Amino acid sequence: MRLVGAELLESREILPGQWLQSYHAPRLATGSRAGQFVHVRTGDLSGLVLRRPFSINTVDASSGTITIHFRTVGRGTEWFTHLRPGDPIDMLGPLGRPFEVDPRSQHLLLIAGGLGIAGVRFLADEAIRDGRQVTILFGAASARDVYPSSLLPDEVEYVVATDDGSMGHHGYVTELIPAYEAWADQAFACGPESMLRALARLAATRRGRLGVAKLGRKRGAGRPDAAGSTAARRKAFLQVSMEQRMGCAVGACLGCVVMGTSGTPLRVCREGPVFASDEIEWEGGWGR
Amino acid sequence: MKAKRRVVTTPGPVASTRRTPTVRKAKSAFVPVGPKPLAQPVTNRMVALPRDSEEGPAVVDLEVEIGRGLRLPNPILVASGTFGYGIEYGDVVDVDRLGGICCKGTTLRPRIGNPTPRVAETPGGMLNSIGLQNPGVDAVVEKYSETWAGWRVPVIVNVAGESVADYVEVVRRLDGVPGIAGIELNISCPNVGRGGLQFAIDADAAAGVTAAVRRATDLPLLVKLSPNVADVRPIARAIAEAGADALTAVNTLSGIAVSPTRERPLLGNIYGGLSGPAIKPVALRIVYEVAQVVDIPVIAIGGVTELADVLDFLAVGAVAVQVGTAIFADPTLPVRLVDELADACRTRGLASYRPLIGTALPKRAGPPSSKGVEYRP
Repeated sequence: MRLVGAELLESREILPGQWLQSYHAPRLATGSRAGQFVHVRTGDLSGLVLRRPFSINTVDASSGTITIHFRTVGRGTEWFTHLRPGDPIDMLGPLGRPFEVDPRSQHLLLIAGGLGIAGVRFLADEAIRDGRQVTILFGAASARDVYPSSLLPDEVEYVVATDDGSMGHHGYVTELIPAYEAWADQAFACGPESMLRALARLAATRRGRLGVAKLGRKRGAGRPDAAGSTAARRKAFLQVSMEQRMGCAVGACLGCVVMGTSGTPLRVCREGPVFASDEIEWEGGWGR
Repeated sequence: MKAKRRVVTTPGPVASTRRTPTVRKAKSAFVPVGPKPLAQPVTNRMVALPRDSEEGPAVVDLEVEIGRGLRLPNPILVASGTFGYGIEYGDVVDVDRLGGICCKGTTLRPRIGNPTPRVAETPGGMLNSIGLQNPGVDAVVEKYSETWAGWRVPVIVNVAGESVADYVEVVRRLDGVPGIAGIELNISCPNVGRGGLQFAIDADAAAGVTAAVRRATDLPLLVKLSPNVADVRPIARAIAEAGADALTAVNTLSGIAVSPTRERPLLGNIYGGLSGPAIKPVALRIVYEVAQVVDIPVIAIGGVTELADVLDFLAVGAVAVQVGTAIFADPTLPVRLVDELADACRTRGLASYRPLIGTALPKRAGPPSSKGVEYRP
C-alpha cells in the first residue's frame, strides 16, 4: 500500500454513463494483482470527504499505466469525468487481497454482472498470460449496457446474457452456469449481490464435485486450511469480489463489512474484496 | 495481579484540584501558568517573543501536558474510529510523529457492530454507524498493547459500555498495561439500566460514570462530550468535577440519510453520526462554550481539514485537536499539520504554540447559545 500520484492519460465513455480511464502510475502498474483496488481522492475536499474505491481494471507494466472503469452515480464519480489528460490525482493502493488461482486450474470461468466486469477484467489478462483458458459470462439489463468485446483479449470466450433478450441469452447470467460448470476448474465472480448470492448457492449445493476441489482430495484431505487463508481461497471453486460502501479502505474504520459464516464481520477492504464464497454469510447475517 | 508499570505516563500534579496544561521546556517567558480561579478559561493572550532570528525561533515547542502526566509530543491527535489501532495505515503514516492516537472504541465483550450500510457520504461530511464493532478489551490488549509500548506516540484507548460496571471493568483491564497512555470515555452510549438514555445527555449520568472510572484507574482520563444536547456547559462542568483530566469535544452529531430508492433510511442502523467539515462550526461553538466553564484542558475535534481549522480551535480555547474524517481523504494530513503548526508559530515569532490558545475567548463570559442565537429579547 502506497500513496502515489497518478496522471490521467485518457478518458472515454465506453457505455452510457460508464467511463474507462487510464492513468500513468508506474508503481501501481507493477505491484498490483487482479482483484485488488485503488482508493482515489476526489478534488473537492470541502464537499466530498471520502475517497472512491475502484477495482484495478487492467494494468500495463511496460508503459506504467493502470485503467479504472466506473459508472457515474454521484458527484464524486461525476468529478472524475471532468478530468483532462495531464491532470494529477492521488491514489492509495494497491489495496485488498487478490484473486487466488490454483496452479492446477486450466479453465477459468469469470462471471460478471454489469459493472462487475471491472472487478474480474484484470484476472482475464493474468490468466491468459499464464496460459489458461478463460470464459467470461456477462450479464446486463439490455444490449446497450453490454461491455464491448473489443475491450477484451482475443483469447477470451465471451458469452452474453441480457435481461430483456436484446443480446445473447434471454435471462440472467446465472442461467448460463450449468453449461460451463463442468468445464471450469475455478470460477470468479463480481456483480450485484443478488447475482453473487445465486452463484454461491449453486456452488454450495455442488461442493466437492466441482473444479479443483475435486482434484484436491488426495493431498491434505483431513486437514482443512483455515477459512480465509490464501491456501483455502486457492482451493475454493468460487471466489467473489464484494462491494460495500467504504470509508478508509485500509481496515481502520470498519465501515465496509460483510457478515462472515464465522459470525464475525469481514472487512471488504482488508480481508476482501475477494472472498471464497463459503466465507460469506449470504442469508441474512446480523439477524437482530 | 497485573504488574503496575507505566511506560508513557509519569506522576502528574494529582494534588492540585485545578490542572492547567503546562508546556514543558518552555523558555523563561513561558513559565507554566499556575492554578486559576474557576470560570476563568485556560487561556493566554498572544505574547510576542523576542525573535531568535529573522526566520523566528529555530525550535518550536509543541509539547503539551493533558493531565496526570500525560505529555503529548504535539497537539495533533488522530480521532477514535478513524485510525483503527494505529497499524492499519502501515508505512503511509509515521505514527511516531503524531501527538497521540485515540484507538477504536473498545468494549468489555466483543461486538459485531451494526448491519450495513454503515457509512454514507453527505455534503461536507459523512455519516457512520459502525456500532462499536471491536474484538473486546482483552483481545485489544493482547493484540496491540505490545506494539503500542514500542511506540513513542501515546496511545489513548477509547472506551465504551452500556453500564457503569462495563466501563469500570474495561478500564480495570487496561490499567497498568504497558503501552496504554490514557483513557478516552465515549459516553454517547445508551445506559441500558436507565432506559437506554445516553450517559452524555445527562449531567448526573455523565458525572456518575466519570467518577466511577476515576476511582478505578490512575490513567489520564479524557471524557468525550456529545454535541446532541441543549446545553453542554452543565454536563462539562459535572464531568470535570467528577475527576476527568480533560474533555474531548465533540462526538458526532446525530443524523440520517435516505436510500437512493427513497424506500427506507440508507444506513442499516437508520441513525448515524455526522462528522467532517460540515460539523466544524458546531464543534467550535461547543469548545468555545466549554473552555469558558471548565479549567481542565479541552481537546477539540470536528471537521479539521487544514491548519486554519487547528488555529481556529486553539483560538476558542482548545489545547489540542483531533483529526478524524479528513484522514480518510488524506492519511498524511495529521503529520503535515504538526509541521504546519510549527511553521505557523515560527512565522509569528513564537517559541511555543501556547500563545495561540484562547485568543478568541471573551474576557467576560457572554450568554450561552442555549439562550437563543438569532433572537435576543
